[in-house]
Amino acid sequence: MVASLTRRFGDLDVAEEAAAEAFAIAVERWPVDGAPPNPGAWLTTTANRKAIDRIRREAKRTGKHEEAEMLHDPEPPAPLGAVEDERLRLIFTCCHPALALESRVALTLRMVGGLTVPEIARAFLVQESAMGQRITRAKAKIKAAGIPYRVPAAKDLPVRVSGVLAVLYLVFNEGYLATDPAADPVRAELTAEAIRLTRVLHGLLSEDGEVAGLLALMLLTDARRPARVSPSGELVALEEQDRSAWDVELIAEGHRLVRERLAAARAGVAPGRYQILAAINAVHTSARDARDTDWSQVVALYDRLARLDRSPVVALNRAVAVAELDGPDVGLAAVDGLTSALSGYHPFHAARADLLRRLDRLDEARAAYERAIELAGNSAEIAALARRRDRLAPGRP
Amino acid sequence: MQYLLSVIHDGPSPAVEEEQAAIDAFNQQMKDDGYWVFAGGLGMPTNATVVDNRGGDAVITDGPFVETKEFLVGFWIVEAPDLDVALELATEGSKACNRKIEVRPFL
Repeated sequence: MVASLTRRFGDLDVAEEAAAEAFAIAVERWPVDGAPPNPGAWLTTTANRKAIDRIRREAKRTGKHEEAEMLHDPEPPAPLGAVEDERLRLIFTCCHPALALESRVALTLRMVGGLTVPEIARAFLVQESAMGQRITRAKAKIKAAGIPYRVPAAKDLPVRVSGVLAVLYLVFNEGYLATDPAADPVRAELTAEAIRLTRVLHGLLSEDGEVAGLLALMLLTDARRPARVSPSGELVALEEQDRSAWDVELIAEGHRLVRERLAAARAGVAPGRYQILAAINAVHTSARDARDTDWSQVVALYDRLARLDRSPVVALNRAVAVAELDGPDVGLAAVDGLTSALSGYHPFHAARADLLRRLDRLDEARAAYERAIELAGNSAEIAALARRRDRLAPGRP
Repeated sequence: MQYLLSVIHDGPSPAVEEEQAAIDAFNQQMKDDGYWVFAGGLGMPTNATVVDNRGGDAVITDGPFVETKEFLVGFWIVEAPDLDVALELATEGSKACNRKIEVRPFL
């Protein structure tokens, strides 16, 4: 029986375990229920079922590489095209345009980024079960529809890139501000991986302004990482960071990329969202002191971004910049206008709390900090929010 | 793998002469390149008849099984190594017949 199971499943361990399990069940049940009419066939069928269960369990446990291979028949992979990088091949498969954009992003985070389903669900502000289904359906379509596992041909590369950039940015953000309370607040392995992949893509598509923009954005954001978490494990807001701890080399590289894109913009190439976000970060990283920040420039860039991207998150960031330029009351009015869209988004409540604090509306500020703490997942961010809440002058008990 | 390339039509008129010529040229190209399995154009849904023999007594009714603005007006069945190739064929086919195409794998 073990031999026949081995032949069928190609794995001696699986076969032995399954046979042993089938006998164990027989020993337990037959004295109670009586032996089945054909004991040999019963044992074989039961052992087969156990072997299949075991293979399924193991498939779930094994790493992302095996999971990736299971997407495809075990035929030898197609020869590599323009990109000599296994991960990119996987990324382009996961970012295939035949998949819905949200599935592409989710699948890539799972398969390439190695994030868990709960982490991805939080990154997208959707339920875990819905995210699990989305990934399962996307994998099923890759297999059933014959989506190839390879880097697209050079002529198809540019159109495939925008989905890849969205994915890389999300991976970076998950590393920069992990949503899982159990994870380290800053996961340098994810930010480093996102930057590495974006560099490879930039090397391939050096003419693509958005790839350069995303790389600059990541570099200018990552440059601030050393100043971002205090020794006691709290997230430090941009205006409170020790700017001398920022990575000057990353900033120089980021600024150089932004200058290249500004030159292209002057030559008539309209910048996309990543280039605008990179420019905003270039303004921040150009100020030696937070008080030197050119907020009018930041607001102008957010205005430009808001024309490309009407998402309420962009509007929230713009409102925060407006508060610096025109005062917290003006900023708060703009933030309050986003309540219905962002009431489940913790940065909305955190921004509101800061503005209410500056307007001396301390009870409301405390309530807003509480709400932000409830919704936030990152431990360093929760610590920082709690500290700001506790620093409020005592209000009503 | 085999794929069904369904031609989606959403107006009253059948293919015009230039479209038919482009479709013929595309068909020949697919045969030359080895992708061709089968193809056909369909009559209008108003000429469809539905048969339901699930209950044992065959019920015959006039008309398409579902009334929609868009409907299937023709199809290709192609043999392609993967979805990318099938999508390329659909891209050329859509241009030739001047209609949208749905690409769906056979089981």
